[in-house]
Amino acid sequence: MRKMLAVALGVLTAIGGFVDIGDLVTNAVVGSRFGMSLVWVVVVGVVGICLFASMAGRVAAVSGRATFEIIRERLGPRAAGANLVASFAINLLTLTAEIGGITLALHLASSVEPRLWIPVAALAVWLVLWRVKFQVLENVAGLMGLLLVGFAVALFLLGPDWGELLRQAVPPSAPGNEHPAAYWYYAVALFGAAMTPYEVFFFSSGAVEERWTSKDLATNRLNVMVGFPLGGLLSVAIAACAAVVLLPAGIEVSSLSQIVLPVAQAGGVLLLAVVIVGIVAATFGAALETALSSGYTMAQYLGWSWGKFRRPARAARFHVTMIVAVLLAVGILMTSVDPIAVTEMSVVFSAVALPLTYVPILVVANDPEYMGEHVNGRVMNALGGVYLLIVVVAAVAAVPLMIATGAGS
Amino acid sequence: MTISTGGRRVAAGAVALAVGLAGAGCTVASRQEPGQATAAVADALAEAGSAAETTRLTVELLDQGRVTGPVADTALLDQLRVLDDAESALTTLVPPDAASSGHRAAGLTAVGDVSDVVVSAREWVAARSGGDLDDAVAVPADADELLAELGAVTAAVDAALAEAGGR
Repeated sequence: MRKMLAVALGVLTAIGGFVDIGDLVTNAVVGSRFGMSLVWVVVVGVVGICLFASMAGRVAAVSGRATFEIIRERLGPRAAGANLVASFAINLLTLTAEIGGITLALHLASSVEPRLWIPVAALAVWLVLWRVKFQVLENVAGLMGLLLVGFAVALFLLGPDWGELLRQAVPPSAPGNEHPAAYWYYAVALFGAAMTPYEVFFFSSGAVEERWTSKDLATNRLNVMVGFPLGGLLSVAIAACAAVVLLPAGIEVSSLSQIVLPVAQAGGVLLLAVVIVGIVAATFGAALETALSSGYTMAQYLGWSWGKFRRPARAARFHVTMIVAVLLAVGILMTSVDPIAVTEMSVVFSAVALPLTYVPILVVANDPEYMGEHVNGRVMNALGGVYLLIVVVAAVAAVPLMIATGAGS
Repeated sequence: MTISTGGRRVAAGAVALAVGLAGAGCTVASRQEPGQATAAVADALAEAGSAAETTRLTVELLDQGRVTGPVADTALLDQLRVLDDAESALTTLVPPDAASSGHRAAGLTAVGDVSDVVVSAREWVAARSGGDLDDAVAVPADADELLAELGAVTAAVDAALAEAGGR
């Protein structure tokens, strides 16, 4: 029973973290424009996040300290400070996108103007951060986020030509009517969405919140192996729904309301309601994770007292950081910026920032001073090296591709 | 760690190049090449075609009772925003020659027609959701009438798109 509950941490980061507004939007856009031809990126992203999240979880379990504490200690205050600024900015952009995602989902359910939902969503996020215990937060958001399985149900109800979907996926190539640069731009965006840095900060800090030790390494592996592939399967289902219904109709996804139309076509109002609740839960869970990650990174770098396991009065600066992050996100959204555009930007800039997160994790996971006998093995290092190369290529290519393609248009 | 002077120069050059490229991406050409103008018209028409198809799917789903009124209304409202962007792209375009001027004029008409039908569709959704619109003459009588109108405007978009060399 204890093990089952521990797996919920992985499921939460998979559903609320892997499938967040970035994944929802990027997968649907990709499905509606490129069919299943970019599904390989999801596979690459899932393997990558499994690899680095398991390393970060192992580092936290063995050393008892979260990623950013060690980044500062290992890289020094200046390099770690630059890393903090970049990570915090990307985190804030992602938090803005997640709160925007909650408001879009509530708009969809109610027809009430999204801007009226912004303060409501932000207040709800803050109240949960302030009052709700970490384990309750993770279990409720994780279980509710599982409703996104409605996309997979919808795919089966649509009865697609599976052979045609497979033909779109293998061998991977850009459809004839799309420019190769746009194809690679969305490949980078999809990769950035799958390997969003906050997932690792949240995962490693969550391990400290739950007081993992080296005895919990098996739980760490189980969380990663169950949680993230589940998130990846849901991502593929979202893309496939768009590929089956929207692509043949010539519909290019530009709003959340289009993403749920295949679900409505497949399962009617009931399945639609299930998926909308799932979207609210997944974006809400991801908003909690990104807000927490803002507090974690800042507090861990500056050596403040942090954690949900402490009363707010005993981790005041940690909680103030989260409040400031939420307020900044509200301020950005209140400028009438399109949350979908913020989401698209956030996944691309996440790709740019990937090396800042993943290089230090690989370095620390190989340091016997922290890890003792639990340092990376050869296979882990070989895979880590390959992924480091992919991550650097994606980071370098992201901005030029964005400029060259006009952000994929 | 210190950075060498050469390294600083390279870094400064890279930043200047990035800023220059970003600035170039943000600038709006007051006059475009014929190919660029035609591509811009085609992009706007592709957006309008996507909006028309989204509207068709939404109307069909609402007619079959597979989608709720608020979801349908939100979907249509989102399409009006897409059409607004498409219209804005066309109205701000400065055509460099007579051919692209003609493409733009045809595109503007097609996008405007799609917008009119999406507005009608929202009224139809509001009427179906209990709105007091019985006496409103602009509200289509049923989904079939709306779908027929959508079919006509989609064909016009496709024709204008083909003219502009789009998909």
